[in-house]
Amino acid sequence: MHLDRTIAPPYRVIQRINLPPIETFPLANGLPLHVINIGEQPVVRLECIFEGGAWHESTPGASYFAIKMLSEGTHAHSSAQISAAFDRIGAFLELSHSFDRASLVVYCLTRFLPEVLPLVQELIQEAAFPDKEWEDLRNITLQNHRVNWEKNAFRATSFFRKNIFGESHPYGRSQTEVSITNLEKAKAIQHYDTFIRHKPYRIVLAGKVGEAEIGHVNAVLGNSNDLITPIQPLSAPNSLVPADEAKNLLIERPESIQSSIRFGKRLFTRNHPDYFKMLVTNEILGGYFGSRLMKNIREEKGLTYGISSNITTFRKEGYFMIGTDVKKEFTQQTLDEIYKEINILQTEPVPSDELQTVKNFMAGEFAGSLNTAFDVADRQKILIMDGLPSDFFEQYVDQIHATTADDVLQIARQYLDPESMTEIVVGGK
Amino acid sequence: MLDNGLRVFVHEDFSTPMAAVNILYNVGSRDEDEQRTGFAHLFEHLMFGGSRNIPSYDEPVQNVGGENNAFTSPDLTNYYITLPADNVETAFWLESDRMMSLSFDPQVLEVQRKVVIEEFKQRYLNQPYGDLWLKLRPLAYTTHPYRWATIGKDIEHIERATLDDVRNFFFKFYRPVNAILVVAGAVTLAQVKQLSEKWFGPIESGTPYLRQLPAEPVQTSARFLETSAAVPLNSLIKTYHMPGRYEADFHEADLISDILGRGKSSRLYQALLKNQPLFNSVTASTTSSLDPGLLLIKANLNPGVSMELANEAVESLLQDFVQHGAEDEELEKVKNQSEVTVAFSQVELLNRAMNLAFAANAGDPELVNADEEKIRMVEKSAIQRVAQTILRPENCSTLFYHAESNQTT
Repeated sequence: MHLDRTIAPPYRVIQRINLPPIETFPLANGLPLHVINIGEQPVVRLECIFEGGAWHESTPGASYFAIKMLSEGTHAHSSAQISAAFDRIGAFLELSHSFDRASLVVYCLTRFLPEVLPLVQELIQEAAFPDKEWEDLRNITLQNHRVNWEKNAFRATSFFRKNIFGESHPYGRSQTEVSITNLEKAKAIQHYDTFIRHKPYRIVLAGKVGEAEIGHVNAVLGNSNDLITPIQPLSAPNSLVPADEAKNLLIERPESIQSSIRFGKRLFTRNHPDYFKMLVTNEILGGYFGSRLMKNIREEKGLTYGISSNITTFRKEGYFMIGTDVKKEFTQQTLDEIYKEINILQTEPVPSDELQTVKNFMAGEFAGSLNTAFDVADRQKILIMDGLPSDFFEQYVDQIHATTADDVLQIARQYLDPESMTEIVVGGK
Repeated sequence: MLDNGLRVFVHEDFSTPMAAVNILYNVGSRDEDEQRTGFAHLFEHLMFGGSRNIPSYDEPVQNVGGENNAFTSPDLTNYYITLPADNVETAFWLESDRMMSLSFDPQVLEVQRKVVIEEFKQRYLNQPYGDLWLKLRPLAYTTHPYRWATIGKDIEHIERATLDDVRNFFFKFYRPVNAILVVAGAVTLAQVKQLSEKWFGPIESGTPYLRQLPAEPVQTSARFLETSAAVPLNSLIKTYHMPGRYEADFHEADLISDILGRGKSSRLYQALLKNQPLFNSVTASTTSSLDPGLLLIKANLNPGVSMELANEAVESLLQDFVQHGAEDEELEKVKNQSEVTVAFSQVELLNRAMNLAFAANAGDPELVNADEEKIRMVEKSAIQRVAQTILRPENCSTLFYHAESNQTT
């Protein structure tokens, strides 16, 4: 039988995704425990999530240092003893920090969960902020910052956020040499006392989780008597100054071979009625490997190793951003091509097969991003934290498929006006 | 195994609606001609530039809701797709056509040549410490082709690549006899068998590639290099030759690197960052290459600390470890850490497919389950024996990476 290799095999388009539900158990003290039990590997991820990100801090850097100091010493144990206690059982501790929240995350074998929990409880409730560890952490943070600051891409993204949100906005701030050096320990402790110690938080347990594990969590983290206040909704920070009109910036770095370009604008959150249509529009422009920017600037002209556009959403705000690194002398040409592609998107309806490919890809990618207990927990967390409807992700595929070429044209005109864009170049033109 | 020599493995998992298709070609930068380095990696790029019957590779993958990518290492080149299991045949169609023959379109070569050169700049030249491995490899290796990086020894090699070079490389290495196919996810053995025969069966087998690489001679005297760049911090890097990934004593060496520099409770971190504040970061790791690899210690120095002092402190810590060996709890700790790493690496479907392909490439797919047991068996005496062999001063290459015009010292 002759096989005609020019003809693609038949295929099905993903029309429906199945996001496994999250189960919620209130612990004895009222803290919510959210559980995703999926997977064959004997592992769990335990997350304790606090409403205490940069959004809430009184001094820049306070929330970062507050969460990072949890493992640096308690009233009962030194920093070295704490590291040893986690490492001994191969448990991996991550103290992470974002604009909206701060969290303590532990990855471990399910069988070691009973040993992990008392440590976690101690870190959350009894952090001691020893002086030596405070200085060490500050030094490490400063040195890491210096290395990162040498990277054009890092610098460009910092300036981009600063310019679109404004310097005083929590989403517009970044760490600086000065903010790291000047932060007083008392400010970090104050943040800890206000948002972490004896404060309500959410627990998300994902992986191979059974009745026994839920019982362990309840026995340890559910056991404090003074933890019953409900979780507070997010309040607005003191000064929310809107950023000015689009502000462009060119940082010359003669020693750089490449320029980092960041191009975009402040946009909206997941709640916005145009969110899904914007996702499709963004995808066509620069959201995936086959996007127009990638085809034009990488695959046809070879100007860059990669270019992409993204929709980033935080709880209260979001942004649209195109990012790329190009050889310095290609900088203007790349910017011109970006403007050209946006113009095409605003003036010519997207061809139906391209639109179909984008939709199929987005639906498949989404289905494929729900592979593990951790993936599912991450999606469910967004619903809980951002207060979105529980069928939000089920709707995702429907909404993507419902987007038309007219929608894309309309969205591109409404939101991608070149006049409204902020353009940052670090390197040179 | 198909008649043409293609080895096919299936991992059924119906807990997901997806499938992962992984093809490993047994060719890496170690197999390159010294005058044509960077080819294995350039090739990875060319593999997306269209094949004999299919003008574009990416678009059909995206159209059926799949995602794909690839990477090249000194040892191998690996391509993978994840897609809805219903559409798994699309992956067979695409992968078999490009195994049959590429398009060899001159335009594709021209563009990908530029993209690779930009990648070289972005990753190796325009990043602080980006050229570290470009300096380190030729210092640590004098003979084995690990002495050049995957991106190539000299970017000129990529600049002068011709279509003939490309054709020759393809028909030498990208043949069924030199490849391993793994299909994992919501697929059955029977289905994979039928699809493999249908799509890959007709491809010409190719000549088996017999790898004959010059072995790296035992290092007999310490090596030293100084370099500088516009980086913010002085950096100290030390490498020691160690066994390959599936060779005897590999796990011992790997555990040694964990004891020395994995996590905050490790020896280097506690002694030289916490107790004596020489460093602001320090780690130990292994390259885990198939041929004998490197155990690597990397530290960033605090401003004001001299390289010589830092180097002496590391060496004396290593000497102490070689003399006294590991503590019981220390060994137990790194074994637990390894167990966790292995368990988490099996969570993702795609990772399971890749691990299976790597093990099969090393000669036995069962190796994928053997590590845990082997790690548990390692004894304290073996740790000390291997530490004595590896952590010898004459087995070491040291790189002082100086920060130019360092405002902070």
